[in-house]
Amino acid sequence: MRSSRGTALTAAALCVAVALICFVSARSFLAMRLPDPVAPAQGFERYNLSHWFPALKGSPGDSDVYIQDSGVPGGTVFIMGGTHPNEPSGYMAAVVYLERAKVTKGRLIVMPFANATAMGHNSPQEASPQYFSLDVDGGTRWFRYGSRATNPVYQWPAPDIYIHAQSGQKLDGGSKSNLNRAYPGVPDDSLTQQVAYGIIQLLNKEKVDLAFDLHEASPEYPVVNAIVAHNRAMELAAMVSMELEMAGIPMRLEPSPVNFRGLSHREWGDHSDALAILMETGNPSQGRLRGKTDAALAVTGKDKAYLKAAALGRLFIPYEGDQTLDLRTARHVTSMKMFMDMLGDVKEGGDVEVEGIPSFDDMMERGIGAFLSPVEDDRFDGK
Amino acid sequence: MEWFWPEGFYTLLMIGVFAFAAFVWDMPIAVAMAMAAITGAIAAGEGVPLRHQVEGEFGYVDTILIIATAMVFMKVIQRTGLLESIAAWVIRKFRGYPVLLSLGIMFIIMVPGMITGSSTAAVLTTGALVAPVMMELGVPMLQTAAAISMGALFGMIAPPISIPAMIIGAGVDIPYVGFGMPLLICTVPLAVICSLWLIYPYVRKPRDEASLEAQLAKMSRVPMSLRLFLTVIVLVVLLGGERTLPLYWPSLGMPLSFLLASASGLLSGVRWNPIETVTEAIDEALPVMGILMGVGMFIQIMTLTGVRGFVVVSALALPSWTLYLGIAISMPLFGAVSSFGSASVLGVPFLMALLGQNEIVVASALSLVASLGDLMPPTALAGIFAAQVVGEKNYFKVLRHCMLPALLTVCWGIAVILMAKPIAKLIF
Amino acid sequence: MMTLIYRGIGLFVAAFVLRCMFREKSFWKQVTAAMVLIPLILRILLIK
Ligand SMILES: [Zn+2]
Repeated sequence: MRSSRGTALTAAALCVAVALICFVSARSFLAMRLPDPVAPAQGFERYNLSHWFPALKGSPGDSDVYIQDSGVPGGTVFIMGGTHPNEPSGYMAAVVYLERAKVTKGRLIVMPFANATAMGHNSPQEASPQYFSLDVDGGTRWFRYGSRATNPVYQWPAPDIYIHAQSGQKLDGGSKSNLNRAYPGVPDDSLTQQVAYGIIQLLNKEKVDLAFDLHEASPEYPVVNAIVAHNRAMELAAMVSMELEMAGIPMRLEPSPVNFRGLSHREWGDHSDALAILMETGNPSQGRLRGKTDAALAVTGKDKAYLKAAALGRLFIPYEGDQTLDLRTARHVTSMKMFMDMLGDVKEGGDVEVEGIPSFDDMMERGIGAFLSPVEDDRFDGK
Repeated sequence: MEWFWPEGFYTLLMIGVFAFAAFVWDMPIAVAMAMAAITGAIAAGEGVPLRHQVEGEFGYVDTILIIATAMVFMKVIQRTGLLESIAAWVIRKFRGYPVLLSLGIMFIIMVPGMITGSSTAAVLTTGALVAPVMMELGVPMLQTAAAISMGALFGMIAPPISIPAMIIGAGVDIPYVGFGMPLLICTVPLAVICSLWLIYPYVRKPRDEASLEAQLAKMSRVPMSLRLFLTVIVLVVLLGGERTLPLYWPSLGMPLSFLLASASGLLSGVRWNPIETVTEAIDEALPVMGILMGVGMFIQIMTLTGVRGFVVVSALALPSWTLYLGIAISMPLFGAVSSFGSASVLGVPFLMALLGQNEIVVASALSLVASLGDLMPPTALAGIFAAQVVGEKNYFKVLRHCMLPALLTVCWGIAVILMAKPIAKLIF
Repeated sequence: MMTLIYRGIGLFVAAFVLRCMFREKSFWKQVTAAMVLIPLILRILLIK
């Protein structure tokens, strides 16, 4: 078959084929950049990150930020999902707050999709699903499943080595597009560094008292089902961790490592007055041991390779065949609620009261979809 | 059986289709990989997932730019006659000191790998420079290619820049700090042994002076001048500057540095045709660029269908002492899809399976073992280019001579893992 | 700025890949070149 002759004609035919393949796949890639519609609860006002860092205005990284002010003096809590859009329980927990919260004391700021461009593409060779769906009352909600990294088209080429600007710490070049290695950010560097800078501005200008960065980790990674707390937040985190243990939702408590720079739980705490908390749940669909990779895996966490790995004692979460998005999101939602309930105990005048948040058992029983509102979604007409 | 079906079947099917297309139908490796990927996807009920095929290719889009531009650079220094002139000069100068000469050659091969973290860069720059020197000194062609391949691997792993070590580190959140000594321990002994083994025995032998002198005169027909050296100087300044003064030097990246250095060859005073030179370079780089595209598709489909998880967990399922055997076998084998792929897909889980040792030392040793992937067909980024540099068409002949050094490398890598604790005590 | 330069490098490489494809005498090797062209084009256009 090697002997098949190649001529200018076959080359021209291949050019047509290349053009066709580029066209079809480009449509699929570009469609993913359309944002996921959300239905904020009453009282939320929409802003963009550029409100706090104007240089981001009009850039693809200018992520939406929602603020609900109860009008009653109290503290300010910041909830951020979507640092890593391949970790869906992080942004789904933020979305649950965005669509359910009724703030009765203090203020709540929600930034559901922090790294906006990372939501809009997938990492090569990860074979991630582009979307997953949840049943909600009266319809279906679609959410994108993105990438760990900022979309490379906005900061290409990646350097060979990423040097964290403030510490000189060296990481592999790909880490330059990892939002959670970029803090406290640089105002005139790549998009990821600018977004990080904008978030630090937000934390300071809004005088945030308590800030969450919501993640997931591979089940085989030691820091999973865990709370990572800045040293100033350790006392509060320890109280919450004990409370969670009693409620039967154990979350390990880990201090933020001092010598690893650029991470939210370290730099937020060092560069603002916020008590910085990062939380991780266990997500089989991002792990290196996972088998067949699709939207179902993201939602159910059912995977036979992880089951085998669990039997081998390789995992850091209890795994009995699944790890649903409902469970993972409920962990985040419930943990945050406990943090907020206790915030006033450690920070005078920092009370924040939020109503309307479903309980852990409700979410496990009815699924998180039951607590989301139906929305118009042009992307999936008739699907 | 429950574990094996159906992912194990997909694994065998994809490998089978690849082997059949490549060896029976005599397809280019790139096309055979693509066919295997498509077959795997269809068998798993995914149809022909165009988006996945194309997305998988993007894993190597930066790598193919490096390969293409590095190849252009190599062709330019060949065309200007710089390669042969330098070779002649080195031989005249250092013939009397064979040990020094052997070690020096090995070190020269390693340098570009050390600063760029790319074995391809090493082979196509200083590898191409020393190849004629070595062959003129009496090192047989295949040993020359083997020595260049091994040197390129050690250079890739040696500090200051080791991308496989960074990849493994990033997978478990350890920053790339403190890797210098462990990586030296991994590479220096091997580099010394390999140079004394593959180069020294030939360099030591006396040669027919008259014929050698005639050959040297022919090689150095282009007089050595600063202008002739311009390409190399520009490259050293650009890549070296970026590494030594990262805070002040603009980060140009390898492709741009290679192209600027190549362009400076226009000022060398020797006439050469840029269009034809670049075309020749791309033509010679295309098979490997294509292979990377095929491999990218292949990995994405492996991940999609669950084959990747099947392979990784099967390797992790090996009982304790065979875990080391698993590392020794699976990492170089999986490196067939590139050593970086092996570091990421297998290196990270293996490191997690070995937690409790010193992670930095273990990660360094794993990256050393992963580097052997660059000898593994079909990609064999170091090996295939080394064969090309010496003018050998059949890479498998070169691979034969790499076998023992590679085996030694694996053993040393495993030994370093086993001694991780005492080593860490010694150096930290 | 750097992105623009790298798009230029991508275009440069893609142009020569195209030239090699048209000069290639074996169909399947032309296919190899076509496989290389796809990601280059999509990256030059900043689509993926
Ligand atoms: Zn994360």
